[in-house]
Amino acid sequence: MSAEPFNKLVKLAARAFYDDITTKGDNQPKTARGDNRGMAVVVLDSLTRRQWVREEDLAKDLKLHSKQLRRTLRFFEEEKLVTRDHRRETAKGAKIYSAAIAATGDGQQTGKDGEEKLKMHTHSYCCLDYAQIYDVVRYRMHRMKKKLKDELDNRNTIQEYICPTCGRRYSALDALRLISPNDEYFHCEKCNGELVAESDKLAAEEMGEGDDNARRRRREKLKDMLQKIEVQLKPLTDQLTRVKDLAVPEFGSLQAWEARASAAVRAMNGDSSNDASKSSQGQGYGGTPMPFLGETRVEVALSGVEVKEEDSKPDPAATSMKVLPPWMIKEGMNLTKEQRGEVKQEMRDNNSGSAGLRDDKKAAVDEKEDEKKIQDEYFKAYYAALIKRQQEQEAANREQQEAAKFSATTSNIPNGVFETTSDRRVGMKAKRDEDDYVEWEEAPPPGNPVHKINDLNAPAEESGDDEDDIDWEEG
Amino acid sequence: MFFHMVLERNMQLHPRHFGPHLRDKLVAKLMKDVEGTCSGRHGFVVAITGVDSIGKGLIRDGTGFVTFPVKYQCVVFRPFKGEILEAVVTMVNKMGFFAEAGPVQIFVSNHLIPDDMEFQSGDMPNYITSDGSVKIQKDSEVRLKIIGTRVDATEIFCIGTIKDDFLGVINEPGAAA
Repeated sequence: MSAEPFNKLVKLAARAFYDDITTKGDNQPKTARGDNRGMAVVVLDSLTRRQWVREEDLAKDLKLHSKQLRRTLRFFEEEKLVTRDHRRETAKGAKIYSAAIAATGDGQQTGKDGEEKLKMHTHSYCCLDYAQIYDVVRYRMHRMKKKLKDELDNRNTIQEYICPTCGRRYSALDALRLISPNDEYFHCEKCNGELVAESDKLAAEEMGEGDDNARRRRREKLKDMLQKIEVQLKPLTDQLTRVKDLAVPEFGSLQAWEARASAAVRAMNGDSSNDASKSSQGQGYGGTPMPFLGETRVEVALSGVEVKEEDSKPDPAATSMKVLPPWMIKEGMNLTKEQRGEVKQEMRDNNSGSAGLRDDKKAAVDEKEDEKKIQDEYFKAYYAALIKRQQEQEAANREQQEAAKFSATTSNIPNGVFETTSDRRVGMKAKRDEDDYVEWEEAPPPGNPVHKINDLNAPAEESGDDEDDIDWEEG
Repeated sequence: MFFHMVLERNMQLHPRHFGPHLRDKLVAKLMKDVEGTCSGRHGFVVAITGVDSIGKGLIRDGTGFVTFPVKYQCVVFRPFKGEILEAVVTMVNKMGFFAEAGPVQIFVSNHLIPDDMEFQSGDMPNYITSDGSVKIQKDSEVRLKIIGTRVDATEIFCIGTIKDDFLGVINEPGAAA
């Protein structure tokens, strides 16, 4: 999802519509020096090269006064081109942002890291909202054309009349009530004043006397304007059609974006050296750090899944790991054994026990990112083989051994959670399901290894019925 | 637009009409009551074409009047936006002109009159082209398009335009006679 076509759209729209926007108040005299027209274009252009950016940083980069920039940004916020976010934060909070900006690679690392102030400052951030920009530009062009067209064929507009004395308005539909027996004019119902036809807004500018000649001239002018719109906005309309079917670059809210960016940076270098500073992000923004107690750490270890603390989004895998009641399980559902509630209790205990172990191992395991990829590949190949040779006892035995080998190293698999995009995450979830599977499959005796190894869709009722039968006999 | 439709109405008949011609009296009264009225829902009732059924009469307590539910067929006329009508001009003034198409009144304001027609006041106020070939005055027949309707419970008023292709004067008042 490249943002390039959208950036071009933003640039075109900026030059088309915001070229002569001046953010100066009307009361200030317009001198050549104070003329800041074109600044809007510069700001929008610079925003296309960034994602979320702190406004002070942007001001510094553009060599603008931050007040001036803020005025421009507020204007764009009203125009719905830009989303802004304000929050009170310490220097540490600013660092989180700096880390995030480093992760995106296209922003400049600002030297904020050194100063450790504990004072709270309100920082503002801004970001282009591409999805909205697309709609805003389209709507704007639609309104422009519609206005001109309406003016042009005013044959279908209902004439309005206005009373100059009392200001009451009437439409042509009231005409029957307004005619007077005495003269040929319409008269106000209230004050009996003579009504005048309300002339069109555009017409009012140049039409001194409402004669036919002026009306014709106005029509010419409108037609001309409409044609000019078509010609001059051609690049913009072309870009709009080009962008129409593309996926819109989405940065999400500031928090989500930061979390994702920092997660990305972690996934990229994956070294444990910056682990201490990174984990501080987990405490939330603007939280007061407690130097004596150390950072608050929350470690959540669900069975087989390590939920990333930094991630503000709920992990889809973790929530879907509920045990479904048997009546909800249908043929064709892709469920894990745990979801079916078939897993044995001691297996769970085993899992949660090993989760703690894994955490200890985690730091070491982090370094094995490359290894992990190889193992992923291996998993795929392994399960393909498993399906093929389900029937063969020998093969199954051998694979059991391999599976055992794997369970020792499975612990680093959940690190795959640290992927940036959400669609990748879905893929990871499937893998994790398989993961649980291996551990489960270890349990049954080797004499029955083919026990529904890949048959996740088998009806759950079977096992439940079996147990019921046994209970009945025993009773 | 005209529609042929079945409507229903409760008719109250005075006891003096009870007799061998009760049914005729009832239909005559129905025509007198309904034809020419306007309802916002159906439009103008132009004519009753037949009576489908007359239900059982119910004598009102105290008055002796009898209420009959009557189902009747009728032709209704309802103007619509965008409809083309032929109408007779009834009044011309500076603001435009009024015309009648049967029961419905239509106002054409001066900015919906073609740009090349100018208003001329005088004994017989009219709109006339510069070369004098086309003239709209009282009793002219014009073809116009309805661009807006105002429908009240008992009244329909329209505004129209003659500023479009094939609209305008179709018959001079003198020629029609």
